Amino acid sequence: MNHTMRQPMRQILLLSCCITLSFAEIQTKGYIALDSSIYSKKENKHSRNMTLQQQLEVNYINKNFSSDLQLYAQQDTTDFTSQEDNERSFIRLDVLNATYDWNEQSFTVGKSIKFWGALEAENIVDTFNIQDKRNDPFITDKTGAWNIQYSNFTEDGELSIIAKVYEQKNELSSSSYMYYPFEDNESLGDSLKSENSLYRPTVYLNYSGSVYGEYSLDYAFIYQNGYDSQRYLTKLSNTYEENAYLVNKLMTYNTAVINSTLYKLEALYTDVIDDKSVSDYIHIALGVEHTLDQLENGAEVGIIGEYYYYETLQKDRLSDIQLSQAFQNDLFLGMRYNVNDEADTNAVGGVILDTQYNEQSYYIEFETRVNDMFKITADYRYFNPSSTHDTVYARLGYHQRAAVNISYHF
Amino acid sequence: MLKLTVTALLAAANLFAMSHYDVAKKSDDIMSSFEDAKSSMSMILINANGQQRVRTMKSKSLELDGGDKSLMEFLSPADVKGTKFLNYEHAKRDDDQWLYLPALKRVKRISSKNKSGAFMGSEFSYEDVSSFNIDKYDYKKEEASTKQLEGQEVYVVERFPNYKYSGYTKQISYINTKTFLTTQVDYYDRKKSLLKSAYFTKYNRIDGIFRNAKIHMKNFQNSKESILTWKDETIKNGLSNKDFHKRVLKK
Repeated sequence: MNHTMRQPMRQILLLSCCITLSFAEIQTKGYIALDSSIYSKKENKHSRNMTLQQQLEVNYINKNFSSDLQLYAQQDTTDFTSQEDNERSFIRLDVLNATYDWNEQSFTVGKSIKFWGALEAENIVDTFNIQDKRNDPFITDKTGAWNIQYSNFTEDGELSIIAKVYEQKNELSSSSYMYYPFEDNESLGDSLKSENSLYRPTVYLNYSGSVYGEYSLDYAFIYQNGYDSQRYLTKLSNTYEENAYLVNKLMTYNTAVINSTLYKLEALYTDVIDDKSVSDYIHIALGVEHTLDQLENGAEVGIIGEYYYYETLQKDRLSDIQLSQAFQNDLFLGMRYNVNDEADTNAVGGVILDTQYNEQSYYIEFETRVNDMFKITADYRYFNPSSTHDTVYARLGYHQRAAVNISYHF
Repeated sequence: MLKLTVTALLAAANLFAMSHYDVAKKSDDIMSSFEDAKSSMSMILINANGQQRVRTMKSKSLELDGGDKSLMEFLSPADVKGTKFLNYEHAKRDDDQWLYLPALKRVKRISSKNKSGAFMGSEFSYEDVSSFNIDKYDYKKEEASTKQLEGQEVYVVERFPNYKYSGYTKQISYINTKTFLTTQVDYYDRKKSLLKSAYFTKYNRIDGIFRNAKIHMKNFQNSKESILTWKDETIKNGLSNKDFHKRVLKK
């Protein structure tokens, strides 16, 4: 059992109390949450999961200088109650950076989380940070990345040069966790393989802005040179090695507002520089989000439609399935219902249909607040994977799951 | 005596000659020219059973000819702390609006159709808490009438939103005939029924400019109430467009 992993929770709790008491001028926020999931039974997997989570954010601003800290810790209860540890207990430093702003410019150094994208189901251009694969793959949980950023701001836009200074390896849970991606007797190697040093910087040149008029547009164009966010695996005995490679990549994400409808585009073209296994590829996603008229009780209803298309450009290279590309020819249809009450109650439901491999994933999420301090999130998901292809969903297998998250915010 | 009589007659003539638009314009004028404003805001939500919840936020606004810019940061409840709402108001077209979601570190473009939605679950809508822009309404053509309201003589001004996605078909504002400060606004919903009334119970005069200090909104259809209070407001702080650039959302 992993008793030592209980320490991070205590440390982060103590740190949050000390900071709040000692430095009143510093803004702090965070939460403590209990996350519980139940899965339809799958052999050799825990059919239920309970995780204690905590996040602490500290923000300091003094004139032109600002600094941010974000710590996240979690304790999976199976790591001290079961013979089969999930190995999902850890503490993680996601953000630790300092920013200096002057005139129309800013300079940031440290560890950061960034968001790029416009769509709702999946953001194909949101490639800066990696998702922590020890956790629920259907919840956004990014790990911070060390980087340096210089930005110059125009009247309606921003030009940024960002250098990510280290390429991170993915971490996995143990095989007893429901979302472990390999067979029970298979594992992920200890290192990230690459032709080049993992300290070789990945450089991003990001230009974004807005156009105003009868129809408004937010746009962003990104040129990337460095490590691709897509990785591939090679198998040696029962161990998978994770491989990173260099690319030149062009990305864009845009949102146009026409009347009460948002039209969205995310697209990327990737030119692989130094690897013969992976083909150049394109990934395109289009989306529409429309807010319907308010209902009589003041509630709002929004509908969302998105389509994703992925294509490799050279033959005899790794396929989309071998590259674990989930959104390669997929349609997402969703609906959002916002009650507009004092508890911010809302529900989102949707279906992701893989039109190429005949897969379906349905979900519904519900969120509300109790007594202004506690937030309750619940979701139900149903997965019907491909029976003919070894896709990401097929590796997880047919299953249903229900989850409840109760969080105390401070 | 003659001079006094003439002055009184002129004043009376002026009083009765004012159109709905003229009254609204004069009322708007005495609230304008603040250039920019910064304040803390608190809002008490009162449900039909009398239970209360408090919301707090920080607000900045910049007065511009084509439409004001405003930035609001939510401070409580704790789970939405750090959420920011940036609005570029336009008199003749849809507003440009963005929401910053701190949990995802995401700036999200939103449709201004949401303006009729409840502001933080209160009885105020987003359009109620936006800057008042006189050109966003059509007015009754005839002269404004007067009446006694809570011991004050007020003009009764009827206005009709001319912008898309308003939740109202008509608003009746009651404007003090002496101070030209709004004392009450009645809001009529899309079915033309009286939905709610806002009572402007306190103003602050800052550097000679009148600013709202307290508005009590009563919804007659669901029996809920909300009280919005401005604190520590300062104007003419030297804010510029730079302070309302999208970059400030992520700060």
